[in-house]
Amino acid sequence: MQRYILIRLSQLFVVVFLALTVVFFMQFLAGCPAALHLPLDATEEDIRHMRQRLGLDDPLPVQYFRFIGRAVQGDFGDSLRHPGAAMPIVFSRVPATAQLAFVGLVVSLGVAIPVGVVSAAKRHSIFDRVGIVLTVLGQAIPGFWLGLMAMLLFSVQLGLLPTGGRGEWQHFILPTITLTAFYAARFARLSRSTMLDVLGADYIRTARAKGLSERKVHYKHALRNASISILTLMGLQMAQMLGGAVVTETIFYWPGLGRLMMQSLLNRDFSVVFAGVFFIAVVTAVMNLLVDLAYAWADPRVRYD
Amino acid sequence: MSTFISSRTVLLLAVILIVSFGLVACAPEEAEPEEPEEPEEEPEDPEEPEEPEEPEEPLEVVFAQGADAGTLLAMAYIDMTTHSVIQNIYDPLITRDPDDMSYAPSLAERWENIDDTTWEFELRDDVTFHNGAPLTAENIKFTMDYILDPENDMDYRGRYETVEEVEILDDYTFRIHTDGPMPILMYRLTSFYPLEPGYLEEVGHDEAAIHPIGTGPMRFVSWDHEERIVLERNEDYWRGEVEVDKLIFRPVPEFSTRVAGLLTGEVDIIRDVPGHMVDEVNASDIAEVRGIPSSRINYIALVNLHDGPMQSREVRQAMNYAVDVEELIEHVLDGHANQMAGALSELNVHHNPDLQPYPYDPDRAIELIREAGYEPDELELVLDSPTGRYPMDEEVALAISDQLGEIGIDVEVRINEWGHHLDIIMERETGDMFLLGWGPALEAQGTIESLMTTGRTYTGFGDPELDAMVEEAVDVVDPDEQMEVWHEIEEFVFEEAPWIFLWQQYDMYGVSSDLDWTPRADEVTSVWFMGRN
Repeated sequence: MQRYILIRLSQLFVVVFLALTVVFFMQFLAGCPAALHLPLDATEEDIRHMRQRLGLDDPLPVQYFRFIGRAVQGDFGDSLRHPGAAMPIVFSRVPATAQLAFVGLVVSLGVAIPVGVVSAAKRHSIFDRVGIVLTVLGQAIPGFWLGLMAMLLFSVQLGLLPTGGRGEWQHFILPTITLTAFYAARFARLSRSTMLDVLGADYIRTARAKGLSERKVHYKHALRNASISILTLMGLQMAQMLGGAVVTETIFYWPGLGRLMMQSLLNRDFSVVFAGVFFIAVVTAVMNLLVDLAYAWADPRVRYD
Repeated sequence: MSTFISSRTVLLLAVILIVSFGLVACAPEEAEPEEPEEPEEEPEDPEEPEEPEEPEEPLEVVFAQGADAGTLLAMAYIDMTTHSVIQNIYDPLITRDPDDMSYAPSLAERWENIDDTTWEFELRDDVTFHNGAPLTAENIKFTMDYILDPENDMDYRGRYETVEEVEILDDYTFRIHTDGPMPILMYRLTSFYPLEPGYLEEVGHDEAAIHPIGTGPMRFVSWDHEERIVLERNEDYWRGEVEVDKLIFRPVPEFSTRVAGLLTGEVDIIRDVPGHMVDEVNASDIAEVRGIPSSRINYIALVNLHDGPMQSREVRQAMNYAVDVEELIEHVLDGHANQMAGALSELNVHHNPDLQPYPYDPDRAIELIREAGYEPDELELVLDSPTGRYPMDEEVALAISDQLGEIGIDVEVRINEWGHHLDIIMERETGDMFLLGWGPALEAQGTIESLMTTGRTYTGFGDPELDAMVEEAVDVVDPDEQMEVWHEIEEFVFEEAPWIFLWQQYDMYGVSSDLDWTPRADEVTSVWFMGRN
């Protein structure tokens, strides 16, 4: 097990290194940041000065190795748009994003797993059919539309909830509804389909033949086996959610990582983009590792020796 | 099966939800001021039956902008959202009269142009910074030196490069010496905000950028990045009592959310209300749209920096005749713009009142195109436009393409992401035309020199005669002579038609009905001008 974890951790370094390399070279497709950070009356000398300050006039290999050299120390340089260094700025957005991701994930699973299990158990029932329609709708409705409609209804028309921001529990409700609609739909569809597969297996027939109650069959025997797929999706979704929910964070001005990354890309604030990609790559790789380790818990046949 | 959703399942779900919201409750909460307890009984006083005066609620103004400030150190970063905050924490050396936009005293009470390269200023003697330090001529010298030092990387450095030195005559009098004539100096000084050297040296540049000290009407309280900037009233403000107790800036990137916040009363001021939402805001009891013709202008540059039909003056003039600007203003902008006659708006101090806009005359346009040796239906032009940067920019570009299409010109509109749009202008890789806006544009040099002369970063035009005229004009200090030369240049520009002259845009502010505030053409949003309605 320890050897497996060590191998996976070394792979993590390769993944992060490759991600940073790709993003480093992608910045040149986006263009020079000087244009966006100097006023329209900037002279050519102002632009030259800024390019020099950013090191953009150096040969590409020099820029690349300087970038990698600093990156291994966690130094991605200063932000052009925000005061201070890029990495602390990224870290400062993580709590807001993590809170929203956690609440979104818990509520999504809380809604989706029972819906998926019941739909599978009562296949072709009215509950199943309504569930299918709702899950398709949940995935099909664009988040920005749902978010704005929820805001118009609950904030503008009914005056029940704030339009956005962060601070109190009320601020979580509209972003969570927006996030949950999408993620719960995905989880519910997956739970239903994997449960259907499992419920057709021989060992389920055996369990029923032994006279176990339906509840025990579904939750103790079927759901545990179905949970491997759900765990996989959950791990990937968690990593994705920790990377920030761009649309939700923008609509509800939630000060999270997704909004920061989006703004930094539009502003060509590449130091922050690099730091953000570094963080997201690490989180994604770690979440994948955790999911793989969780397989062993869910399925005793899986061993990493 | 009937027992499938058991009470245990329901209980489990409830626990999950409670735990998740319990975690949410751990989020930092905004401190809410405790409400004073009301006395249980009214004190009886038969001799003085007058009603006790209710203490007024503190006046709190929430200003939602599209983005967070970039820094709170004045003059370090050029950006409109940053400037809205800066001008409440700091004061400019001189300001403008809100009615006619002429220069007016602020921290400097008097000034005099000694000669072409020397300006003398006298400061008020009753101004203190938020930390109690007095404002003296030393501050001005320190601030100018600080801006000009490349080490400090101040965005405003380029604006003062002609300044040679600040000479201190006494505590409150100083002179600014320039390398050559710099008539634009006064304009620049409307956004010169003195810094406090003691504080800046004590805490350093980076700390001063997040915990600023100024002389302005509001003191800095806190900055939660991407959440809010909180300022409170400066009780010792030199101009007198400020009516606003607290000013909060909130970055709200999505315009629909800003409008929703205004309509729920969470927000008191927003910028750039889209034309199609004006009626909705005005129909509410809670807020209204207050529009003002801005000094910001929008234009279509007719690019003669590379080969193509725009090399011909006749074609450029024809474009002005072929575009019905009035119709665009009426139907695309819902009337929220003023047509320009030439390159400068009526708010610009150097505006030439003798010029009249090009009339809409498609026949004359066709005639001119033929004079230039083309047939209208032979012309295939490319128009570059940003999207979401200026009011209805994309729609304006498409409508112009239609109008030119009516006389047979084929126009391809390319809609660009803002950064890319700037890149292609800078690299001279645009099509024959590009849409751009500019402002605040209150004097001629900033507009004409920056946007029409050869070699400037964002110009689309080059003409040796115009370059020579501008080079001479920027050295003229005498106001009357200055007016004369710029008027002459404007006439030349009007004839050369380097742009399709469009309009000065309106600044459309959504404002809480409870707030007494009139937006200004120079985009000053200082709380000094705000009060309770």
